[in-house]
Amino acid sequence: MNPVIVTNNLSKWYGNVLGLSDVSLKIEPGITGILGPNGAGKSTFLKLITGQIKANIGTVTINGKKIRNNYTLFSMIGFCPEQDSFYEEMTGWKFVASLLKLFHFSAKEIEERAEKALEIVELTKDKDRVIRSYSRGMRQRLKVAQAIAHEPEIIILDEPLNGLDPLGRRKIIRLIKEYSSEGKTIIVSSHVLPEIEAMTRKIVLIHQGKVFAQGDIHYIRDLIETHPHIISIKCSNPRELASKFIHEDYVLSVHFDSEQDSLLVETRNRDKFFALLPPLFVNFKIEVQEITSPDDNLQAVFDYLVGK
Amino acid sequence: MAEKKARTFRYFLSSIGEVFSVFFSLGKAARKTKFFFFVSFLPVIIALVIKLIQVFSEQTTLSGIFIFSNIVMVLYLQFLILVLALFFGTSVCSEEVEGKTLTYLTTRPISKSSIILGKYAAYTVLIILMVAIGLVFSFLILNLNNLLNFRLYKILLRYMFVLVLGLICYTSFFTFLGTFLKKSVLFGLVFGFGWESVIQYFPGSTQKFAIVHYLKSLLPVSSGRRFSFLLFQLEPSSVGTSIFMLFLITAVFLGLACLLFFLKEYIFEDQ
Repeated sequence: MNPVIVTNNLSKWYGNVLGLSDVSLKIEPGITGILGPNGAGKSTFLKLITGQIKANIGTVTINGKKIRNNYTLFSMIGFCPEQDSFYEEMTGWKFVASLLKLFHFSAKEIEERAEKALEIVELTKDKDRVIRSYSRGMRQRLKVAQAIAHEPEIIILDEPLNGLDPLGRRKIIRLIKEYSSEGKTIIVSSHVLPEIEAMTRKIVLIHQGKVFAQGDIHYIRDLIETHPHIISIKCSNPRELASKFIHEDYVLSVHFDSEQDSLLVETRNRDKFFALLPPLFVNFKIEVQEITSPDDNLQAVFDYLVGK
Repeated sequence: MAEKKARTFRYFLSSIGEVFSVFFSLGKAARKTKFFFFVSFLPVIIALVIKLIQVFSEQTTLSGIFIFSNIVMVLYLQFLILVLALFFGTSVCSEEVEGKTLTYLTTRPISKSSIILGKYAAYTVLIILMVAIGLVFSFLILNLNNLLNFRLYKILLRYMFVLVLGLICYTSFFTFLGTFLKKSVLFGLVFGFGWESVIQYFPGSTQKFAIVHYLKSLLPVSSGRRFSFLLFQLEPSSVGTSIFMLFLITAVFLGLACLLFFLKEYIFEDQ
């Protein structure tokens, strides 16, 4: 398959701050997930491939043509930005229709396309309300609507699931998959692994402005599975609970916090560890107040993978 | 080749038209416009008060057109057109950057110049309408007992022409400032109420570095006797030169604004 988007040695600095460093990618039709913790360089990458900002080094081409200041390419690109910004005094309908106007569609086409896009993101009922009165989820869906309204071949979505409820997330994920099955090229960024996992197997891991890994999601999953997890348990008798973990070979360490009401357990098999907990709580009558996983986020996994 | 160029030019003009239509409609509904529409009605309120005083005191020593000329000189030329051009001109670019909505425009298949020119045109037409409505009302109120004197309408048109040219020219300058500087309103205030207010009173050719010099050169000869100090040291340029210079300044600053907007990278506040 021919790559649609090609980046060569793409690098970007904001003054002394590194935004992106030496990123060379070939993106083919289908869904590509850009995964990385906040501040990793995902948005910078998306801005570079949509020509919003200029690379210090390297090039971006879409279907063989350079993107920067080449506005003709934008009829085939739909971009959903990360920032929650709108022309607040417009209605949802007016917003989508106004942006469609800039594609030089006829009035009838604008009406049809705006109607269709708002229907897809389920905003038809609220289309005549001013954007200022929209909820966070509705605003997010409106951003997606403006990105798909002109039926582009390439759809670029920067954190599209932010602020959506679980149902809204599922709908957007289904929509993205539908577009992919139509042969479109879709790039989705997120800092949440399960979100990307629900959409695609093709994944690019970005960390500190560099492509850290790319490939199949299973490869990434395997990397993460080997990462020891830290679990915090706040309970009535932490020392007694700790004594029960000592015999398990998948428990690597146990620490108590200064207030003596919780313990931190490091384990290399999270599933086994969680399976062990309920019978322990019941059998030894331990009252549990809270179980959290302080490092159960992408930043911690990345830190572990890069050896921090 | 020529046909391709013509097609590209037609597309460019049509893009300006689309941007104009979007932002004219958006601008009409904006809170800022409502506020400035009210501000632009201040001369009307003043004209109304003066007229009422004249009617109730039966004092008619000052003619309607005389008072009208002075209102134009003091309120419109020295204040209102500057303020309107400043707040609408600088916002052409800065409101997109500050509101982080620029991305929606720069990811559409239209050139960056058409965004600037379309928004500039939309906002300029809006403020011209604001000024024109206020000006006509002020004129009608102050000349209520002389409405059949068609000579007066010629004077009204002349003032209208000067103010429209002023708005076109100042807005282009402030549009440039908005694309160039972050704190463009502040620099705009310094320019409008500092540079323009001072330079115009310098003798010789120095005053020609102020836009207001060319506007004052176009005023009817009998303008504002009471506020004649506003014409102090004025060595008017010819009508032709003044019109040419105002259009030249407009074209230069719009060109620079388009060039800057094309080259510059706008980074949003929290990035």
